[in-house]
Formats: sequence, structure tokens, C-alpha cells
Amino acid sequence: MNRMRYECGVFHTRYASEMGLRPRPLQRIRLVLIAAAIVVYPFVANGYWLDLANQVAIATVGAIGLNILVGYTGQISLGQGAFMAIGAYSAGLLTLQAGLPWAVGIPVACCITAAAGAFFGLPSLRLKGLYLAIATLAAQEIVEWLMTHWTWLTGGTEALVLAAPRLFGARMNSPFVFYWLGAALAAGTALFAANLFRSRMGRAFVAVRDQDIAASVIGVDVARTKLLAFATSSFLVGLAGAMIAFYRNIVSWERFTLETSVVYLAMIIVGGLGSVRGSFLGAALITLLPALINNVGRAVQETAPQAAGLLPHVQHAVFGLVIIVFLIFEPRGLSKLWGNVKDYFHVWPFAYRKG
Amino acid sequence: MTGGHPPGRIPPTATLFLLLAAACGGGADRADDPDAPIKVGAIFDLTGPTADVGTDYADGVRGFVDWTNRQGGIEGRPIELIYQDYAYQVDRAEQLYGQFVGEGAVIFMGWGTGDTEALQLRIAEDEIPFSSASLSHVLGDPAEAPYNFLVATSYSDQFRIALDWIARNHAPDNPDAGAPVVALMHNASPFGLSPARQGGEAFAAARGIDLSLYPMPRGAVDFTAEFSRIRQSGARYIVFQNTSGPAAVALRNARSLGIEATFICLNWCSNAQLVELAGEAAEGVMGTMPYAPLTMDVPGTRVIRDYLASQGETIAGKTNAYTQGWWTFAVFAEAMRQVLAAGGDLTGANIRATMETFADFDMGGVTVPITFTPDDHLGAKGLRIYRVEDGAWQPVTDFIQAPDPA
Repeated sequence: MNRMRYECGVFHTRYASEMGLRPRPLQRIRLVLIAAAIVVYPFVANGYWLDLANQVAIATVGAIGLNILVGYTGQISLGQGAFMAIGAYSAGLLTLQAGLPWAVGIPVACCITAAAGAFFGLPSLRLKGLYLAIATLAAQEIVEWLMTHWTWLTGGTEALVLAAPRLFGARMNSPFVFYWLGAALAAGTALFAANLFRSRMGRAFVAVRDQDIAASVIGVDVARTKLLAFATSSFLVGLAGAMIAFYRNIVSWERFTLETSVVYLAMIIVGGLGSVRGSFLGAALITLLPALINNVGRAVQETAPQAAGLLPHVQHAVFGLVIIVFLIFEPRGLSKLWGNVKDYFHVWPFAYRKG
Repeated sequence: MTGGHPPGRIPPTATLFLLLAAACGGGADRADDPDAPIKVGAIFDLTGPTADVGTDYADGVRGFVDWTNRQGGIEGRPIELIYQDYAYQVDRAEQLYGQFVGEGAVIFMGWGTGDTEALQLRIAEDEIPFSSASLSHVLGDPAEAPYNFLVATSYSDQFRIALDWIARNHAPDNPDAGAPVVALMHNASPFGLSPARQGGEAFAAARGIDLSLYPMPRGAVDFTAEFSRIRQSGARYIVFQNTSGPAAVALRNARSLGIEATFICLNWCSNAQLVELAGEAAEGVMGTMPYAPLTMDVPGTRVIRDYLASQGETIAGKTNAYTQGWWTFAVFAEAMRQVLAAGGDLTGANIRATMETFADFDMGGVTVPITFTPDDHLGAKGLRIYRVEDGAWQPVTDFIQAPDPA
């Protein structure tokens, strides 16, 4: 009984069981615990904490999307904000103008974003690294310009106000109701991404990242793979944008600026490039950090009002500091830190480290 | 296959969730205690793109809270202002609003147009009387935004007053002068577009005014392109709907390009800061200013000056945004006082109902008297027009009412 719980004590009799997503029983126990925590959480949390959880869920979907492109396929993108905007505006306009139900609007919006992503990914066929980053920056600027100037479509700088869609009869913009949709979509996205990199296509993404010439030698169609990566990534990023549209009932360009792109890059860098777990951890940290600093600041406000005056500036500094600290001390991010903790207990009481 | 192996994987990520769940105890403690402080939520822009006027507004709100608490609070209950900087970010505003209301804030002092519009549905659901520092006309319609109150002239009304003034003063002796050509240079945001979209364009069309819009990109340091288009359009009147920082940049630009026009600043750039930033270039600029500058001697500014003097401060460096913060809160404070004096509970519905009875509430001469009704939450309909003369804003009209919408 006990033996079965350990990694080397698991005896697989079929290939299928060995190749499962969660091959070990302990991992499955963990999965059940997480699922239970997700289900229990909304009943113990108040509106504020539910709202934060929803923001984390949306950021997780967006960060996983970006990580597929940047972390797994190695195509640097500064166009995250643009793709989220395309998702949000498509979802908003499809339900508002075309009268589609939200459940139809979301997947259509994701497909539109995927197409846009593939289009703006075309420069990646010729460009790499910093040059590609600048090309995607152009995408960001173009979409931002279109958002604010295509008044007939987007309402220009005026915000697009959506009617609150209903989920099982309740208004979706309530944190409690949206939580279930957000959790389901975030979990679904994580499952999809984890499986993607066990498939041929996903491995082709990684091969392109590691060495594109070698990848093409072993038969990977590099051009197709890059565009597929852009499309897949944008699909999920568009989903995150559509989630924001329906949760907040309002779409405005101010939410999808270059700053958004940079914040999402920070999430996956802090969380861990090329890691689904890291995408979640990074999204959670970057979303919760300002809230944490806020609360610390308010605690200080009463005892040291002078220090509290500096707080708004401290917030910006801490944000930058966190990124620099991670780049220096753990470039592989929170995901690797978590791995280190596990390894430590794994080999305890011996000092030997894996890998 | 036996023994000797270190313990296996610990059941992990769950701990993170449990920690998160554990961290969120507490919850709302609604102030039922008759002596408990009255909690008021607020978001201010202290570091974002509108921090130039946002900081002064925040100081005004805080000054009023401090002044009230020194006087013994509202019916003996002190005000506890819960506030944070939100850097003009909609997400941050939503997060802080949820947090403060969860902590028992009975009213909320908002700021930007974008975030106020984003919060509109939640404000109505939570029944939180909400002060819109954003003076967007639509937020004054109780059918759309039942708990939003505008304690100043809306942007659209300000713009209509400006357009009306232009129409009446445009070459009155020369019938061949043609229609006035007006350029609205606005912040590229819902805030910037609000005066034109919510009545300004229709009014201009009805009065035969040729109006075109020129967005001012955020963070721009040069408006040469905009001004060369304005010059081509032949506009003789340029209206700014932006904060004082960008407007001052544009004014300096315009002067160095030799643009001959009358400049009119709406609410957030008609202040002392504009004069300070634009210097000589601000001379002769007109302003539709719902709130009197602190230099003007009326009862409503005297109370502020006395308070500042008691704190060892002066009005130096403080603008009419300070007056606006102070007196906006004063209206809500009066509503809460009346609710408590009548023995009522401090609920959103009660405060709203009390505010809707305000008729010609005296603002000490800093604005026109404030009136709210159940059908109209636009507190003020008129204002004075000012002009910069020798580096100071001087009134050129008495209170004038906004013309009827076209």
C-alpha cells in the first residue's frame, strides 16, 4: 500500500498508464485536494477575495497563452495587450451588435483573435529575438490605434458597455458567479496546455524554440509551427480578453495598453518561462502583489503617515524590484523555486539534489 | 523494492490555496454602533496620468475630513476615510472599490470617468452613494446611474456654456464674420470625449458652430501636428478638455507656433497649476470653472483658508481642485448628518433619499447652489467664466446657467 505512493514504487503494466498526465497516485491526491480547495474557496471568501481570485483566473488564462508563445516556442511578443483587446472587443461586439449569446460569442472571439495572432505572427517567419519583439510591438501600437480611432466599430475612446450576461440565471458580473466560469476556464486552459506539450505539435513548438534549424532537419515545418504557436497562444489570450469583457461589462482601450503586455511578460518571467504551473504562480503573484502592498500600506498609514505618502511610489518600485530579483536569483521563476522545495523534501535527509 | 527510499512528494499546491483561503477571514463589520466611525471609501490618482490635479483633489477631501473630525465629526461620529492611490487604472479601481465597500464604506469618492463607468452597475447593486469627480453628463441620470451624484457642472454643460459664450462673443458687430470655428482638444479617453459626445456636438450643430475634435495622445510632449490641422481648419477658438499638465504643454506649443486663437479650459485645466506650468502662455486663457479658486474671497474658500492657517499651511500651490475635493465631500457629509439627525440608519438608500431633497444647498459661493432631485443628479447647472490676467484667474462673468440642450 505504502509502496505504491512513491515514485519508483509505481508499477505500470501498460504504456497508457505510464504516459498519463498524472501517473502517480500522490499527484492524483494533490489534484483532488486542489479541486476541493477551488470548490470550497468561494464559500469562505468575501467579495474582495473572490474578485482577486477572478483576476488571478483571468490572468492565468492570459499568461498560459503568452507562455505558449514566449516560453515554449521562443517567440517574444509585446502584443499581449493587443490580442487581449481583440478578444475583448470581438466578444463585446458579437454579443452587443450581432446579438449572439455569450457562450457562442466567446469561442468566436477566440477564433478571431487566433486569426489576428497568426496574421501578426507573420513577421516571425523572417525575424527572431529582439527584431520580432519590435514587430509585435508594432501590432500592439496598430491595434491600440485602431481601438481608439475606428469609432464606428469600437466606439473610439469611449468605452463599450455590455449588458451583463447571465450564467445559470444569475448575473455573470457578480464575483461569486463569475468565479465558477473563471475557475473552469482557467483549469481547462491549464489542462489543455499541459497536454499540448505531450503532443507532437507541442514538441514541435519546443523544438523550434531550442534550435529551429535542427527542428526543420528532423522534419518540423518551422513556418507552420510558428504560425500555429501564434494562433494557439492568441486563442487563449483572446479568451482572457473575452473573460474581462464579460466580467467587467465594459471594454475600454485603457485596459489593453503596452503596459498590459509588459505586465504579462513579467508574470511569465517571474512565474517561469515554459511552465504551465509557472504561468499560474506568476499570474497570482503579479496580481496579488499590488493588493498586498496596498494592504501593508494601509496598515502603515495609521502609524506612520509620512511613510504612507511615499507608498504609491513604493508600489512601482517594488514591482520592478521583484522582476529584477527573479532575473538574478531564479531566472526560471517561481516554478523552479517550487521544484527546489519539492526536491529538498524528496531527497531529505540527504543533501543530494536532483538535476 | 523495499525501504530506504526518502519520503515521496508532499501534497503541495493545495497548501497555497489553503493559505489563501485562510488569509481571507474578517469580512465586513457594518457600523451599527452609534459611536463608530463613519467609513468612507475613496480612490485618488496620486501617481497616474491625472495626478497633477488628482493630488490636490485628494488633499481637499482629506482636509475636509480632518476639519470635520476636529469639529467633532458628523453628529458626534468621526469620519474614517479609507483611501488608496489607484494610478488611474481601471482594474485597480475595481479592486479597491470592492475592498473598501467590503470593509463597510457607506459612501464612495470616485475619480476617473473610465473607472466610474466600469463600476456603474456595481454601485447601483451595492447601493453606495458615489461621488463622481468625473463630471460625465450621463452619470447624472438616475435612470442610468441611480447612486452617482455630480457635485459640479457636468462636462457637457461646461462645454455648452463655453460654446454659448463663443457664439455670443464671436464678432457681434460683424455679420459677415461667418460661423465660429471651434476645435476641442481632448484627452484621448472617455473623459476627454464626454463633453462633445454627451450633448456638445448636438448643441454646436444647432447653433451653427463648426466643431471638430482633436484627441491629445497620452504622454505627448508636442502637439505641432494637431495645431497645424487646427490652423488649416481656421479655428479661432480652442477648447481643452484635459488636465492642466497636457493643456499647459499644448498652450506653450501654440504660442511658439503663433496660433492666434481664444483658448478655453474646461474643468480640470482651468486652475492655478496651468498658470504655473504654462507661464506667459497662459495669459488671456479663459476657463469654465465650477469651483472658485482659493484666491477668491467667498465664505466657501474662507473656511478652507482658516483651516489651512490652523495647520500652519497657506493656499500657496493649492488649486481649485482642492476646493472641489473639500466641497464635494461637504455635500455628502451634510446628507449623512441629516440622516443621522433624523435618527435614520446610515444606509445607501437613506443617504440617497436625503440628497435628493437638497434644494439650493449653499456651497459658500464656491459653486452655484446645489440641487438634486429623484430625476436629476446633476447638482449644478451653472458656473462663472474666468480669465487669466497677470498670472491669476479672475472672474469675467457672474454665475451663468448652462443653455438648454439643443
